[in-house]
Amino acid sequence: MLHLLRHPILRRLVQAFFVAFLLMVFAFLLIRLIPGDPAMILLGDTATEADLIAYRKLLGIDGSLLEQFGRYVFNLARGDFGISIRSREPILSIVKKRLPVSLWLTATTIIMTVALALPLGVVAALCRRTWFGHAFQIGASLLVATPVFFSGLVLVLLFAVQTDLAPIAGYRPGFPGNLYSLWLPALTINCVLTPVLARILQSSIIETTDEEFVEAAIIRGTQGWRFYWRYLLRPSLAPTVAALGYFAATVVSYSVIIEIIFNLPGVGMTLVDAVRNRDYPLVQGIVFLSGLLVVSLTFMADLVNGWLDPRAKIR
Amino acid sequence: MQPLLEIKDLDISFRKGGGRLLPVIDAANLHLNQRQAVGIVGESGSGKTMLCRALIGTLPRHGAAITSGTIRFDDQELAGAPERVWRSIRGREIGYIPQSSLAGLNPVLTVETQLVESITAVQSQSRQQARQKAVALLERVRIPRAEQVLKARAHQLSGGMRQRVMIAAAIAQAPKLLIADEPTTALDVTIQREILTLITQLRQELGMALILVSHDLGVIEEVCDSVMVMYAGASVEAGPVGVLSTSPRHPYTRALRVSRVDRAVPGTDLEAIPGDAASVGSWPAGCRFWPRCSLADNACRRDPQPALMPIGLQLSACIHADRMFELEE
Repeated sequence: MLHLLRHPILRRLVQAFFVAFLLMVFAFLLIRLIPGDPAMILLGDTATEADLIAYRKLLGIDGSLLEQFGRYVFNLARGDFGISIRSREPILSIVKKRLPVSLWLTATTIIMTVALALPLGVVAALCRRTWFGHAFQIGASLLVATPVFFSGLVLVLLFAVQTDLAPIAGYRPGFPGNLYSLWLPALTINCVLTPVLARILQSSIIETTDEEFVEAAIIRGTQGWRFYWRYLLRPSLAPTVAALGYFAATVVSYSVIIEIIFNLPGVGMTLVDAVRNRDYPLVQGIVFLSGLLVVSLTFMADLVNGWLDPRAKIR
Repeated sequence: MQPLLEIKDLDISFRKGGGRLLPVIDAANLHLNQRQAVGIVGESGSGKTMLCRALIGTLPRHGAAITSGTIRFDDQELAGAPERVWRSIRGREIGYIPQSSLAGLNPVLTVETQLVESITAVQSQSRQQARQKAVALLERVRIPRAEQVLKARAHQLSGGMRQRVMIAAAIAQAPKLLIADEPTTALDVTIQREILTLITQLRQELGMALILVSHDLGVIEEVCDSVMVMYAGASVEAGPVGVLSTSPRHPYTRALRVSRVDRAVPGTDLEAIPGDAASVGSWPAGCRFWPRCSLADNACRRDPQPALMPIGLQLSACIHADRMFELEE
């Protein structure tokens, strides 16, 4: 049994499970660190002490922390995430309703990041000594320094108010119609992600350019797309892909702000409401599930890197 | 006989910002006949590698350019030749084993992909044909189990193996001239010998001329017919290997010879050349070697870097070439 753990991918999976468990513990403890009692919030100021105690029991938040945690883990192991304190709706069904919006937002954003950052990084590396290179440096720094709630509003003004290219707010489900409401929020997040990723790619390509194997390929007579893909891009992609896995994770946290600006009914908005209401099970459920999403995204980035660069195969 | 390669008074400079030029090679001269092997020796920073890059047209990539002089190769002028001409020369007429060529293999590609490239770059052919040629090339550089090595990537091969693969790629088109820039520096001594033997054998089999760059006079004596010594971007002495090692006519060549490890007397300190090598951008006025030379007088400090002058069987750029006996052994 133990020798199986020596397989790198399996070992990485076990690590991922461990991270997921830690995440569950954190989610459980953090929400309880915030002052405020869900029973008090729900029943209001007029409730008596006896009412509160009875209600806490009903909500399943009575007893010591350890008892509560034990119950939580036991239920989770059976796939039961509990029910929302506020709406009495099962957590899973809430997440099922809200998660697709967030997943679509994440996917659109990441695809957009790749589509923008790859060509931008390559061109910025090849033209680093021309006016484009300098403009890129300045533009990238400016964009990264701009907070998303500001760039988001500017983009809404440009594309939704002045023109009709996107809705001002709201979401229409169903592919591909939903892209109409998603492209602007995705672009907003990309104001931060694209410049950073393009810079990472630019500097790794510049580094690769000095490698002896590039010179060797030129002397061999390798030209055209073959040269650019095999000798400049592919050996330079590892840091970019790793960053992309990490970025996918940041999108999940950006989406909280973005969903509020663009009024998208995703998990981000639900999470903010849940924290405000001290909806313990809902917060736990969302943090844990989006955490799992992040863990699996970084895992996927590792797999892609293993394919791109055999030296980087998961160890 | 028509020489294969004739480099005359070649000057190369780095292009700095604002149109400034930083000379890295000033007055390099080299003469090479068909099938001949010449060694270029010098300390690091003497311009050996830049000279090689000038011969394969990759100076612009390294921010440098030829400012004057000529490179005559096989009746073609290569100094200032356009990229189109270089494409017909590189790999086909002039093969090249780059410096630190252990890093010369792309880590993400298999040996096969890269060898096939050097075969198909010149004439397109089926994958199968190219593959067979790749196997033949690997066998040519004495690699056992060629089929397996084809599937390997750089990190799965030993240093000697990687060097052999680099040589295989360089000779794929049976070039007239093979340039090897420090081909054995990163290898251990037994592998060094194997690689040098291999290069010598291939040179005879394919009738190639060879330029072997090294900072080790011993390596050059073993493989080459003649040698050109570089110091601070200039050719300071040239001639047949045996003559230069027994009766050098430039104090620098003499110093190189005395400081050789294999001549050291056990139990005594290793002889080192006094002073620091003149580095690019801070060459002294006059003969560039004078600060480290015990023969130096006012003329050496005052007059510009002397040109190569014939003396006996060799060429020397020392105005005191006839006073070598004054230097103590």
